[in-house]
Amino acid sequence: MHFSSEHITIFLLSIAMMLLFAKVFGELFTLIKQPAIIGEIIAGIILGPTIFGTIFPDSYNYIFNHSEQVNIALNGFITLSVVLLLLISGLEVDLAVVLSHGKKAIYTSFFSLIIPFSLGFLISYYFPNLFGIVESNSNLIFPLFMGAALSISALPVIAKVLMDLKIFKSEVGFIIISSAMLNDLAAWLIFSLLLGSISNSSGSVSFSTTITLTLIFIGFSLTIGKKIFNSIIPFLQDNISYPGGILNFILILGLFSSAFTEFIGIHSIFGAFIIGIAIGDSVHLKEQTREIVHQFVSNIFGPIFAVSIGLKINFIASFNLQTILIILFLGYLVKIFGAGIGSYFSGLKKNESLAIGFGMSARGEMGIILSILALEVGIINEEVFVALVIMALVTSITSAPFMKFFLKEKDKLKLDNLLKEKFIFFSTATTKEEVIFELASVAAKEMNLDKDFVFSQIMEREEILPTGIANFLALPHAKIEIKEPFIALAITKNGIDFEANDNNLSRIIILLLTPSNQNEIQLELLSKIAKTFENIEFSKKLITAKTQTEILKMIRKS
Amino acid sequence: MFTKIGLAVSFSPTGKALLCEAKRLSDLTNADLLLIHNGNKTTETEIRLDDMINSVGIEKSKIIIDWVSGEIADSIIKSAEKNNVDLLLAGALEKENLIKKYFGSVARKLMRQAKCSVLILISPSENPQKFNKIYVSTDFSSDGERTIKLAHSFALLQNAKEFVLLREFNAPGLAYTLQDSTTIADVEELRNQWLLDEEIKMNFFIKELNLPILEPKIVCLFGKEGWEASNYAKTNKADLFVVHQPNQKITFFDKLFPHEVDYSFINIPTNLFIIR
Repeated sequence: MHFSSEHITIFLLSIAMMLLFAKVFGELFTLIKQPAIIGEIIAGIILGPTIFGTIFPDSYNYIFNHSEQVNIALNGFITLSVVLLLLISGLEVDLAVVLSHGKKAIYTSFFSLIIPFSLGFLISYYFPNLFGIVESNSNLIFPLFMGAALSISALPVIAKVLMDLKIFKSEVGFIIISSAMLNDLAAWLIFSLLLGSISNSSGSVSFSTTITLTLIFIGFSLTIGKKIFNSIIPFLQDNISYPGGILNFILILGLFSSAFTEFIGIHSIFGAFIIGIAIGDSVHLKEQTREIVHQFVSNIFGPIFAVSIGLKINFIASFNLQTILIILFLGYLVKIFGAGIGSYFSGLKKNESLAIGFGMSARGEMGIILSILALEVGIINEEVFVALVIMALVTSITSAPFMKFFLKEKDKLKLDNLLKEKFIFFSTATTKEEVIFELASVAAKEMNLDKDFVFSQIMEREEILPTGIANFLALPHAKIEIKEPFIALAITKNGIDFEANDNNLSRIIILLLTPSNQNEIQLELLSKIAKTFENIEFSKKLITAKTQTEILKMIRKS
Repeated sequence: MFTKIGLAVSFSPTGKALLCEAKRLSDLTNADLLLIHNGNKTTETEIRLDDMINSVGIEKSKIIIDWVSGEIADSIIKSAEKNNVDLLLAGALEKENLIKKYFGSVARKLMRQAKCSVLILISPSENPQKFNKIYVSTDFSSDGERTIKLAHSFALLQNAKEFVLLREFNAPGLAYTLQDSTTIADVEELRNQWLLDEEIKMNFFIKELNLPILEPKIVCLFGKEGWEASNYAKTNKADLFVVHQPNQKITFFDKLFPHEVDYSFINIPTNLFIIR
């Protein structure tokens, strides 16, 4: 089959068009604070048979459906894109994180996998007609696929949401990320075996051989292979051209592994994903290297893949509202229920569990990759595919606002959530003891404690080391037997000597009381307060405030 | 600080060196010494042990010898517990081979399962030297607080020159954000912001601990928790790295995917002090 100059021209033109539209729409969606992937998929729908193909069928066919040769080349490029996307996803999967976060991560991972998978499997097994499937109940392929599709999560979308909500490094953030990592590993494993079983039904390698070889591949990659990569990576990073050398090494390994898993009868993506995990586990792989690999793949191959989704199908012709609503409902229900119940049982609060449930409901790119592969091998029809894509898009868009809603008012580590008008007062105290006693009295009244006891606890800490910070701020604090942190603020008319670092007398006295067994919360709040007052101009303005409302407003704005 | 130091004594090439190290620590802390010998008590072994003790110059009145049998690590742990040992001393190779990594070695078992603090020496000497550069892995838990206080007292006792508190933190999956419109510069900025936050928290933490005389130096590190601190201690040639003993029992999966203190237990970065 000859690949002529015209074929090359059309192939390059189609790639350029895909990248151009992906970039423009991706950026537009970023501007309106939505995941770029959604804009890229919409770009594909516009370029594909749904819009461009309907309005200008000849032009569409000339560019995106030109000839068998160009289609093969395009499909090859898209396959490479999917393989690389799975490779970089694997790079970030850190299974040790699940182990190091103990019960909470393990419970959440387990339930957010098992409940969506079981419900997805059972519903589609007993009620296939809900999805327009009319085959007999004995076919397990579709139910198994639905189980995997509902279990998977969109780590890139989730990570971005956590970053935007500034909870990436919080307990909730860790639990979501680590659980999603484990979910993805299990879902890809199930799905790859499923694809393996389909391709093997007519292939030369028996299914049992495929399973055995797959287990050997996983075992080798995650033990000996991982150790070998860990030894090679520092050598490559130090001795050959950087970042080209290490980038090549990762891609070469990814492509070899993909070829191997495709050869043994499971999909190539699985090889890329597993080898990604093995390479990513290396303690020597520089953060900078990971970032370069991610940038390389996600700026070129990610958008191409995203646009290709819309090129495959006419979304209007395959739009079935009933299937969409059912899949959308299931998409939310199973994850919110599964992840929510897991995190609730592990000891998290109701609002945090719901936030985790909604956070993990985002399916994004990963859900779509899974669906497109299922469509290609005939596990699902076009209507189910469209419904799954819409579910992936809607869950990705909504995960951030829902998480924000459930975490917003409840964040007990936010200064403006803790500090209330009734805990702010103006004082004429002239000594440290006087102002601390006034603050202790406010705290004791609010928490039904003995004010002398609270005062003695604060003074005990104060005597070890004075709590003057700088910029007129003093931060007397203590750990006592309370359930939630408490903050009160006094603006003193006279400066009081708390031995601050800048030798200024303190006029903004903030009392912080935290639960006795929670060091981290105390440190978190102390550092947040100190950061709020790091600018002396802010302190000066606060001192001149006339009312409690004014003070609170200024702190909220800071 | 310690009242009884335990040492699993053997006639291996490092046996005498470990005894010398035990003597130094016993003199330093004024603690008694318990020598645990796994094997039959015969006249010959008694004489050999006596000779070794005499050659090191330990006062007999400060020594108790416990003759034990059975699985080596278990018998040492039991003896230490029975005799109220509060510091167990042992020697270990810096790296385990693959088989020992997954199935365990004596020293690694002591590190994880001993009911008291454990000091692992990677190259014990018959002419022991004090620890001058003491690095401590820091977490903000009450165990972490106790570890730092004890390490600080230990540093003061031997007049250490450097006392460094290492604080690691990680954000797994951060690179994922690069797949969705985040730039490398954004990620870098966020990481620097986190570093700054951790430094502020560490400063408050140290203030709260109120460590006199030997002021600690703070180092915050971003990366794999457990490995970053261990690697930093090794790279900076610390001669003692202090961690607190993990509470959870190790499983096969922990060995397969090491995390936190596991890194230091698998590849011991320098002399390792595990505080319980």
